[in-house]
Order: sequence, then C-alpha cells, then structure tokens
Amino acid sequence: MPKPSDLLQGTLDLLILKTLSREPIHGWGIAKRMLELSDDVLTVQQGSLYPALHRLEQQGWIKAEWKDSKHGRNAKFYALTREGRQQLERELMSWKRLSSAVGLLLKKA
Amino acid sequence: MGFLRLLRVWRLRLRSLVRREAADRELRRELAFHFEELVAEQIEQGLPPDQARQAAHRAFGNVAALEESCRDQRRVTWFHDLHQDIVYGVRMLRKQPGLTTIAALSLALGIGANAAVLGAFDALILRGLPVANADRLVAIQSVPLDNPSRLSGNSPAAYMAFRDRTQAFDTIEMSIKFAGDVAGDGAGTPPERMTGQMVTPGWLSMLGIEPMRGRVFTVAETQPYYSAPVIVISHAFWQRRFGADPGILTRQIRVQGTVRTIIGVMPAEFRYQEPGVDYWVPLFVGPQPDAAGRLFGVRARLKPGVSLASAQAELDSIAAQLAAEAPLQNKGWGVRIRPLNDFLFGWTRQPLLTLEAAVALVLLIACANVAALLLSRSSVRRREVALRTALGAGRWRLMRQLFTESVLLAAAGGVLGVVVALIGQWALLTMTTPPGAPPLPAIGLNASVISLLGLLTIGTGLACGVVPAIRGSRPDPMVSLKEPGATAGPTRRRMFPQGLLVSVQLALALVLLIGSGLLLNSLLRQVQRDLNFDPDGLVRLDFDVPASRYTKRIGSHNGFPYFEISTPPSQTHQRVLERLRGLPGVESVAGISAPPVDAFVLATMDVTLEDSTSNSATYFLATPGIFHTLRTPIVSGRDFTTRDTAAAPWVAVVNETAARRFWPGQDPIGKRLTLDTVPEEQPREVVGVVRDIPTRHAESPQPVIYASYLQQPSRYRAPWAGLFGQMLFMIRPTGDPLAIVPAAQKAIAEIEPERPLANVSTIRSHLRAGTGQFRSYVWLVSVFAAVATLLAAIGTYGVMAYTVDQRTREIGIRRALGAGRREIVALVGRRAIVFVAAGLVWGLAGALVLTRLIRSQLWGVTPTDPVTFAGVSVMLVAIALLACVIPARRALSVNPTIALRNE
Repeated sequence: MPKPSDLLQGTLDLLILKTLSREPIHGWGIAKRMLELSDDVLTVQQGSLYPALHRLEQQGWIKAEWKDSKHGRNAKFYALTREGRQQLERELMSWKRLSSAVGLLLKKA
Repeated sequence: MGFLRLLRVWRLRLRSLVRREAADRELRRELAFHFEELVAEQIEQGLPPDQARQAAHRAFGNVAALEESCRDQRRVTWFHDLHQDIVYGVRMLRKQPGLTTIAALSLALGIGANAAVLGAFDALILRGLPVANADRLVAIQSVPLDNPSRLSGNSPAAYMAFRDRTQAFDTIEMSIKFAGDVAGDGAGTPPERMTGQMVTPGWLSMLGIEPMRGRVFTVAETQPYYSAPVIVISHAFWQRRFGADPGILTRQIRVQGTVRTIIGVMPAEFRYQEPGVDYWVPLFVGPQPDAAGRLFGVRARLKPGVSLASAQAELDSIAAQLAAEAPLQNKGWGVRIRPLNDFLFGWTRQPLLTLEAAVALVLLIACANVAALLLSRSSVRRREVALRTALGAGRWRLMRQLFTESVLLAAAGGVLGVVVALIGQWALLTMTTPPGAPPLPAIGLNASVISLLGLLTIGTGLACGVVPAIRGSRPDPMVSLKEPGATAGPTRRRMFPQGLLVSVQLALALVLLIGSGLLLNSLLRQVQRDLNFDPDGLVRLDFDVPASRYTKRIGSHNGFPYFEISTPPSQTHQRVLERLRGLPGVESVAGISAPPVDAFVLATMDVTLEDSTSNSATYFLATPGIFHTLRTPIVSGRDFTTRDTAAAPWVAVVNETAARRFWPGQDPIGKRLTLDTVPEEQPREVVGVVRDIPTRHAESPQPVIYASYLQQPSRYRAPWAGLFGQMLFMIRPTGDPLAIVPAAQKAIAEIEPERPLANVSTIRSHLRAGTGQFRSYVWLVSVFAAVATLLAAIGTYGVMAYTVDQRTREIGIRRALGAGRREIVALVGRRAIVFVAAGLVWGLAGALVLTRLIRSQLWGVTPTDPVTFAGVSVMLVAIALLACVIPARRALSVNPTIALRNE
C-alpha cells in the first residue's frame, strides 16, 4: 500500500509515473513532456522534480540507466519497473476516486 | 514488497553507503545535463550564449540545495550522521586521554563485574544442573523442628518410610560417604586412603548418566544383609590409579579389607550427586533399620507432574507418622525437600545477591562519574553548541552527538569489561565452597554472559548520557558568540547537577562501605572468637586404625552390620600416645576423635539421662589430658586421667551448654548419662564440666559429651565402628610447632610401618580453613567497596577541580580585591561541604534500610552496629575532604595578575 502522502507530492509522483509509462526518458524530458501534455499549464520545477525522481528510484518504482539522448549527450534515463507499473495503477485508481469525489462534491454542494 | 524491488532498493542503499562519491558524481552529471538543456533552450530562443547561461542559472536556483535534497532521498543520511558523530566523539574523547581512560576503566569495572556476578547467578541458581530431568531431582534432609537451619542427613528407617509410603517419586535412593582404605597391590602401588560411598542400586543411574565402562549395581547385588563384592570407580580414580587401563573391568581391588571386582567406571560428568567420591560400593538396607543416626544422604526424582509442595506435604505426614511410631528417635524432627541444584549450589544465592548489590552500586557510581565528567565538558562546550545551533543544527541532532560520546565510552567499557568479567568469574569460582559442597563449575563466556555484557553496555551508555545530552543541547541565551575566551564562572544553578551526582556517589559508596564493614566485622569476630582453647602452637596429626583391622562381623543389629571389636584400636592409640609423649621438645600431647572446631563430620548421638529423658549431643572420644593440652578451662571436676581405664567406672566430661541444658540448675558432677548406641554401652558418670568449645566457628555452642577412648563397648554397630578407629593427636611442642613433625612421623612409622600418616598440620591452618568460605566472600565484597570509594573520590575530585577551574577568574578578582586564604577556601569549600553532608545523610539512611538484608550473613554484630556506621562514615568523609584538598590548593595558588590577564 502506498504511504499516505500529501496531495501535491502524491500528484507529482503520479504524473511522473504516468509520463514514464510510455517510454524511458530523462529528467529534462519529463519536465518538457509534462508541460506539453498539459498544454503549458503544469510547470514542474527541478527543485521538486529531481528529489521526486530520486525518491521514486529509492523506492524501487523506477530504475535509471545512462544513455545517449537524441542530441548525442549522455543522460540519465528513467524507466518504470514492473512494480512501478503496478504502483501507477494503484495511484491512478486512488486519483480517480479522489477526483470523482471532489467532482461530486462540487456538483452537489 | 516484491522480492525484486527489495533487491533493487537494497542495492541502491548499499551503493549510496559504499560508493557515495560515485553516486554524488552521477547526481552532478544528471543536473548538469538538465542545466545544459536549459542553456540550449535559451539559445534556441535567440539569446546570446553568455546571457543564455545567466538566464539558465537564474532558472536553476541553488544547485547545492537541490543536490542536498536529492541526497536526502537516499535514506542513509542517518548513517553518515552517525559516522560523523563517532569520528567527532572519538576526537573529543582523545583530547582528554586521562579522563577518558579513567572513565572507560571505571565503566569496564562496573560492566564486567556485573556481568560476572549475574552470569554466575544465572549459571548456578537459575539454570539448573546440566543433567536429564534436572528440575525433578531433589535432595531430602531431616531437620530439627526447633532449629530449622541445622539440616541433617536421614536415618535408614526414615528412608524406608519415604520409599515405601509415598507416591511422589519414581526413584528414591540413599547413600553414605566414608573414608576407606584401598590396599596396595603388591606390585608397587601403595595403599591409599580414598573416599568411598555406599549407595543403593539406583543412585548411580538416577542422573541419567551412563557408566563409561561396564555397568552399575543391580538390585540383586544389594539384598538385605548382603552386598555383593563389587565396586564401581570414578573416572579420576581409574585415570590415576589404573592409568586408564582399558581392561579395568576384569580387575579386583581390596577395599576396607574386602576383595571387590570392578564392574564399572563412571564418567567425569558424574559429579553432581556427591563431590569427591572415588568409588562406590553397594549399600543394603535392612528390613527393620534402627532409626538413630541421621547420617545418610537421600536423593529422589519426582514423578512427572508432581510438585515440590505436594511431595513436601507427603513427607510431612510421614514425619508425623514416624514421630508417633518411634517418638524416642523421631520426635521433634521434620523433613525438608529441596531441588538438587539448590541443595548443591543454593549456598551461593545469598553471597551472589549481596555481591550483585555491591557491583551494581559500583556501576552506578561509575555512571555518575562519567555523567559528571560529560556534564563538565558540555558546559565547556557551551559556545560550540551555541555556534552549531546558530548554524542550524537541530536540538535532536545535538543530543544525538552528545549521546554518541557516552555510548562510545560505554562501548569501550564494555569491550574492556570482557576481561573484567573473566577475572571476576575466576575470582567468584575460586570462592571457597562450604565443606561437602561440590566445587563450582566453570562458566566462561557463554551466551548469557555475552548478552549481559551487551545489555549492560547499552544501558550504561544511556544512563550516563541522558542528563548531559539534555542539558548540553539546551540552547543557552546567556552565551554570546562574540564573548571571547572562557565565559563567566558556573552559576550555582548550573553546578547543581554535578554536585548532586557527587552526593549520590558518596551515598552509594557509603552504603557499600557500611555493608562490607559489617561483614568484615563479623569475620573479625569469628576469627578472634574465644574458642576456649589455645590453638597457637598446636599441631594435629591424624592417625587412623582401619576398621577392617579391628572389626569382625558377627551379625546384624537393627539392620546394620554388627561388629565385634577385637584388639581394640585404642591399644594402638595408646602406644602412639606414649611414643609421642616421650619425644623431646613435646610439652604435652593428647588425642581426640575429631577436630574440636569445624570437623567435617560430627558424630551426634542420642543420650538418655537418669530420668529417662532423651537428648542429643555431639560426641568425642578423648585421651587423658586432652583439656590440659588444649588449654581448655575446666569449670568444675577434672580432666580424663590414666586411671580412666576400661576396668574403671565409665566416665564422661560435658561442656557447659550440655550441663545447662541437661541438668538445669543442678550440679552435673556425679550425674549419669547413657549413650543410645548398643546394648553393651554402660552408663557414664559425669566427672567434669569444661568451657564451651564451639563445634562450628559461626555457631552458638551445642551440647558436647567427651568420653574416654579406653571406655568403649566391645561390640559396635556400623557406622560407629569406624569412629572408634580414628584419632587426632594434638601435640603442643615447646618450640616451633612444625619442627616436631619429622620426629613424630618417625615414631609412628616404628609402630605402624605400613600406614602413612594423613593430615599433619597446625590447628591454626585448620581454623583458617574453617572460615575460608566466609573469608573469600567478605574479601570480594570489601574489594568492591574499596573500588566504589575510590570511584566516588575520583568523582568528587573531578567536580571540585572543575569548579575551581571555572572560577579561576572570579578567584583572581577576589584575590586582587584583597580576599584572604580563608575566604577563598570558604568560597570553594562551602558547596563541597553541603554536597558531602547530603551524601552522608542519604548514605546512612540507605544503609539503615538495606543492611537488614544481610542480617543472616552477619555474626556477632547487628545490622545497625553503631561502631561500624560511625567509623565508616568518618572514613568516607575524610576521603571526600581529601579529594577536595588538591582543588582547594589550586584555588589558593591562583595568581591574580595571570588570571586577569587571561581575558
């Protein structure tokens, strides 16, 4: 079971895991892609991104590998582990539960 | 957590720990990549490279902080902090090597000694014997109802009643120990006196230890009135006398005049039934044993599920039956059942508990010492703490740092404590055992001793560290970082904890000193007790005529072999006596059947008086002039003389206690008493009353009857027949006591060429052996009391020296302003006196409460003996004040100009 964590951190973890679910990618790429996919709404600062990546790595949800980026520079690529994929499912479920609950409340109140 | 994930996580943690540099390098590279991408993006948007770089720097923010928060995700910071704390702690401790060494050594002493004593308690008392069904093995003893501490053996009649009338035991066995002669074999092996034991058949198998060779006795070998001529020997006997001969089982030896076939050898582990036995022979129990003579050891094994209490209840009812059936022998006697382990090693319980109390106090004092040391150091380091707080160190982090130091000290103490524990164990196990108890088994560094060492170390580290850590980490607003050099002297409030620790230390030391003082006092009183004879210059020389030489079996009497005494051994004794008397340099000589004080076995007999009342008394055979040689005062009547021959009327001499108890308010001279032994025994007339020679060093006098060695029945029932042959000659030479020995040995060799003399020694050394057990134990307690006092003195000195150190500037100012020596001493001493006085009061109060616990170990002093209390208090106060003298002298030597220039 995931540890209870505050909304923001939990949300960032979810976003990172989801972003990584398509293909292995480095930290810079994660930030870029999150910005793209959210239509320039979600800017993630490196001050939050890198500690989160390292935390997820230490927890075993993601693994790192050094590879050449498309510009030919060596970069640290993160990828989901098998457990990380399961963790993503769990986090998605709880996010859906939460957001539908919030939606319900906003509609009915 | 999935296994693969666990593996991955631990690999990462390990990498962060072991390859920290690589992990950091990688982190920097990762962030650098991000930074370069950022720059590239800016350039793409049209900025010139240098401006792009600046913009990227702005966007990126504090790289160091980012790195740090990434590193924090590794979950191993605690380890690095710990590593840092340890390195720092070791550095701090090494700054003051002297103090650190003293602290570590005193903790080592405390930890090691506690581990040794608790480990011994665990092994000897808690753990039980290392044999099968140890918890069901019991020893049964009889006990006089009016004196429950004087436990005794059992009579055969009682044994048979226990065996036949109870359901509690699945086996119950009886034995009796004796000194028996093993004959020479004609091929050069000399005759030897060895310790034998007659046992019922199950005795050797009840511990579940098999013989290493051959077999043990069968029931058929111990029929009534018959015991087969077989023998089982001990491992030590087999090794020593037979050179571990593998063909031992076919051999025969002559023991006490009987040729016996060796049928078995017991292994070395067989040592918990009775210590120091060399061989065993079958014991038969007659169908109608007489009840007198409580000489037999009885052991049993409880049936599974039977409790000690229910067995005791069954035995109680049997004791009541026996008292009703044969009141003469059994009235006033009860039965006591104890676990075998308690019977063998239970005597260590009290000494070990007292020692544990002593070493626990030593450890507490050592802890207080270390705590005071750390406290002093933490006030020196107030500026450092203030600085680190200012730099953002949390309180918890600081406490952990301070704690590390005390734990390091304790760990050093724990490691050195292993050595102390081993030495302590050695000292404990060489503690003299009481007569008849088996030697204490070796313990070594077993699992429980090691875990005790570990637990004590951790506990000590926490105990020493908690107060300094809390106080030391408290941010102190009084300390200004700008202030140069040493800060102002310690305030009264700030010095309070150290002073309190001094008081506590002195109080603990005082309790221990008073306890050991009382024990020492008891020992001194025992050693100096007026024994009513003059042991100085007396030499004892044991000479026994073997029972086989003078006894001839003529049948049975009340279930015992019945012997005729032909050629009484007293004739040989008489010749020896005359030869000894004729030696040059002998002032006087006389014989007695056993040492008058602290004999290993005391013959106790039932006595019938003229009015048919029955009593019991210790019984000695003696030659003429015994009281003259002993220099025992004769209260009334006379000593034995050469006229007290077998043909003359039989006489007896009694001690004062017997006179008082048997004939209260009457003149005992001329009264008659009859020993309740055999029909041939004749009434004896009391012809003398002598002062009480205590039969045991630490016991009040018991009734004693002395009879002439010549006036004895011509028939005897075992085992009294053995008593008849033994004689201990007391020689009082005019010169050096032991110089007489060669001449005496030569004289005896002429009479008895085949029989070597056993046991030639001074009576003084015999008496020393009698107090040996108590002596070694009191010695141990006293050593710990001395150590505790030394530690408390060191603690007092440390705190006082620190106070003076801290007040150097103040003292300097006072001196400069004209304060005299008296004022300076008062300044330093005032508080010292308060703390010493508080320690004294608490210590005395504690001792008043606690010394009651050792009441049973004291002899001749009360637990609140005012002389001991006062003397020890004065001594401790003197030591404490002495510890204050050096610091006070240093205070007086403060030079005002130098002290002020230091600013």
